[in-house]
Amino acid sequence: MHLVSVIQRGVWAVLLWPNLLASSVPLDCREEQGILSRCPSISQEKLLDRVIEHAELIYRVSEESCSLYEDMFIPLQFQRNQVGYACITKTLPVPSSKNEIQQISDKWLLHSVLMLVQSWIEPLVYLQTSLDRYNAAPEMLLNKTKWVSEKLISLEQGVVVLIKKMLDEGMLTINHSEQGLLQNGVQPQMLESVMRDYTLLSCFKKDAHKMEAFLKLLKCRQTDRYNCS
Amino acid sequence: MTVLSSSSNLLLLLLMSSLDWLSTPGSAFFMGRHRVMSPAPLEPHITDCISRDQATFQCWWSPGNFHNLSSPGALRLFYIKKDSPASEWKECPEYVHSNQECFFDNAHTSIWIPYCMQLRSQNNITYYNEEDCFTVENIVRPDPPVSLNWTLLNISPSGLNYDVMVNWEAPPSADVGAGWMRIEYEIQYKAINTTKWEALEMQPQTQQTIFGLHIGKEYEVHIRCRMQAFTKFGEFSDSIFIQVTEVPINEYTFPLTLVLVFGIVGILLLGMLIVISQQHRLMMILLPPVPAPKIKGIDPELLKKGKLDELNLILSGGGMGGLPTYATNFYQDEPCVEFIEVAVEDADTGEKEDNQGSDTQKLLDLSQPVSQHMNIGFSNVVSFPDDDSGRASCYDPDLPDQDTLLLMATLLPGQPEVGKRAMAAERGARPLVHTQTEGPQTWVNTDFYAQVSNVMPTGGVVLSPGQQLRIQESTSGAEEETQKKEKEHTGGEDSEEDKEKELQFQLLVVDCEGGRYAAEGNAWQIGGPHSAPMPGEGYQTIFPQPAETTPAATAEGSQSPYILPDSPQSQFFARVADYTVVQEVDSQHSLLLNPPPRQSPPPCLPQHPLKALPAMPVGYITPDLLGNLSP
Repeated sequence: MHLVSVIQRGVWAVLLWPNLLASSVPLDCREEQGILSRCPSISQEKLLDRVIEHAELIYRVSEESCSLYEDMFIPLQFQRNQVGYACITKTLPVPSSKNEIQQISDKWLLHSVLMLVQSWIEPLVYLQTSLDRYNAAPEMLLNKTKWVSEKLISLEQGVVVLIKKMLDEGMLTINHSEQGLLQNGVQPQMLESVMRDYTLLSCFKKDAHKMEAFLKLLKCRQTDRYNCS
Repeated sequence: MTVLSSSSNLLLLLLMSSLDWLSTPGSAFFMGRHRVMSPAPLEPHITDCISRDQATFQCWWSPGNFHNLSSPGALRLFYIKKDSPASEWKECPEYVHSNQECFFDNAHTSIWIPYCMQLRSQNNITYYNEEDCFTVENIVRPDPPVSLNWTLLNISPSGLNYDVMVNWEAPPSADVGAGWMRIEYEIQYKAINTTKWEALEMQPQTQQTIFGLHIGKEYEVHIRCRMQAFTKFGEFSDSIFIQVTEVPINEYTFPLTLVLVFGIVGILLLGMLIVISQQHRLMMILLPPVPAPKIKGIDPELLKKGKLDELNLILSGGGMGGLPTYATNFYQDEPCVEFIEVAVEDADTGEKEDNQGSDTQKLLDLSQPVSQHMNIGFSNVVSFPDDDSGRASCYDPDLPDQDTLLLMATLLPGQPEVGKRAMAAERGARPLVHTQTEGPQTWVNTDFYAQVSNVMPTGGVVLSPGQQLRIQESTSGAEEETQKKEKEHTGGEDSEEDKEKELQFQLLVVDCEGGRYAAEGNAWQIGGPHSAPMPGEGYQTIFPQPAETTPAATAEGSQSPYILPDSPQSQFFARVADYTVVQEVDSQHSLLLNPPPRQSPPPCLPQHPLKALPAMPVGYITPDLLGNLSP
């Protein structure tokens, strides 16, 4: 029986070795050290496509989570309109109009995306913890927010590699500095907790849309620079 | 606990909002259009703000009930972009007074940043609603798609339904190509005279198939779109009308199908009729009858399983007559099969050695069909030196009564002259032929005599193999002889012999006299004068004149029912015989057994290596005799 199980595992390994190669290799391959890198080579276009797909999915899921949360915890419209002002990332120097976006360079676009992504990794973890404390939070909401925080990390990796490939820059140090997330510092009140979570969700939804738009414009520029409006 | 508190908070908020709502009846922008407007006087308010391309947007206002403010310029729109804490209210960049609209172009439009609108009158009265704040991407309503048209995909086989492919183009105002906006489309259709629209699933492609439309009905189709993962749809496009009329081809194909079906059914029926009417013939062709087992002369019932014993009985000749008739028939069919010539081992005829044993076996093999025994025939003089024993040779058509000549005699191929002589002597008479010449050594190996174990009512003789080195004599043999003589042929009929011994038969017919065995009516008398003294033998002998007995006849134990050696020598006859032969008949008609031996060499001793046979009677020759006969 032991031999049989060993053989089974061997067969599985043989069948799945390409997947193992693809999934386990980190995107940040270090080539400068002269080590024979085992990174799967992927073209820049394909990588950009994949990053865009990630961003689209992240936005869609975040929008669904926000709707779910609104339906459950924020029934009144006026509340929903109040959230635009307290987004944590509003201090980031990212373009906010189409004109600006059209005028900035590829490099700045990519860096903007990266900044956005990096600034949301920690808050999403916080959001997850906060939602877990709810008594009536639906399972789907929790799953979605968890999924989003995971995918955001992959998105960050992809954008880093993209920057490296497209801009030929070195590896950026990834520092997740707190950006004034918990301004109160003390135990938040219930109402504030709900509003704060909702604020987080809707702000993240907005920023996810931003990332998606930036990346798409970037792609348009890659394929056909002169026709992109 | 948190839920309770949150629900209480919500109640509180609800109270507050209701109060707020009462205070600001006019603002209906973001509250949803389902809210019923209060009858209170409406103050100027923003009616709607829409962006079509996510790069610009417009806002419309209304003076409400304040008609005095409806003149252009009486109300001014101010907005604030809350992208920094130090932002300020700004006035509308572009007025379209005819529409009471404010247009924000690209330069003044920022995405993802909250805008708030307010109206100010000349008197600096501000009509502001907190709810009139938005971010541009949330107010995007794309223009409807353009160039909507349809093509017929297919028509169902029943001719009642059809499928249609509808295709269109993205609205030109939406920058889909650059990826700035992701749009998905929704098609709705309905039949002309109905009111409920059917909506198909939303999808981002610019074409879609509508399935299951009905022939003859007219349909109305329109389309709208929205940004993916957003909630606000754009306006519907103009409707297009789809109608497919009846296809006339159906009229032709349906009768054709009917004709085909009926034709096939008719052919099938015809085939069946033919099969049924010609059933017997077909059965004969397809399944020819198998012949049952049959043997001539035997009831087929006996051939069935389980009746083997009766069959054996019949085959063995014990039946009432089935077999003999069969035998008769056989003979009539093959008249020339009478003899079996068996080659006895001879120095001169070395090549016959191998035939020797086999021939005897053939002769005596009971397992072989009866017919084999019948393969005894005359050996022609001409063909005498025929080494092929067992081959029927029939050169003497005059031979009478061949059927009675079942002879188990063997002919020892010997010197042809002898044979010839013998034949010549017997020509015309003797059914049995002989000759033989053989070396004495051959006699040793051969079973010459066969004991007659039974006599058939038809005259046939049932032989049993004798024993080697012994002359077997028995009364049965004498009986046989007598009977034979009566029949004037010493032909034996069939022989049923034991299978144990291999016997060779020799035909010892010696008819030197050219006569017969004188069986005709003179059997006993012949025996008288001719009876060679056969001391101890008891054989009844008949003297052939020129005879030579074919003493070659055998070795021992073989049977030569036809030839009685003419008491060659006493010592031969001294041997013990299994049967007693009547030697003489007295004048008183009593049988004398074991007459005193006499030696009288037969005058017709052939010149063959056999020792002189003192008397060469036509009859038996015992092995002893044979020994004497050899030269």
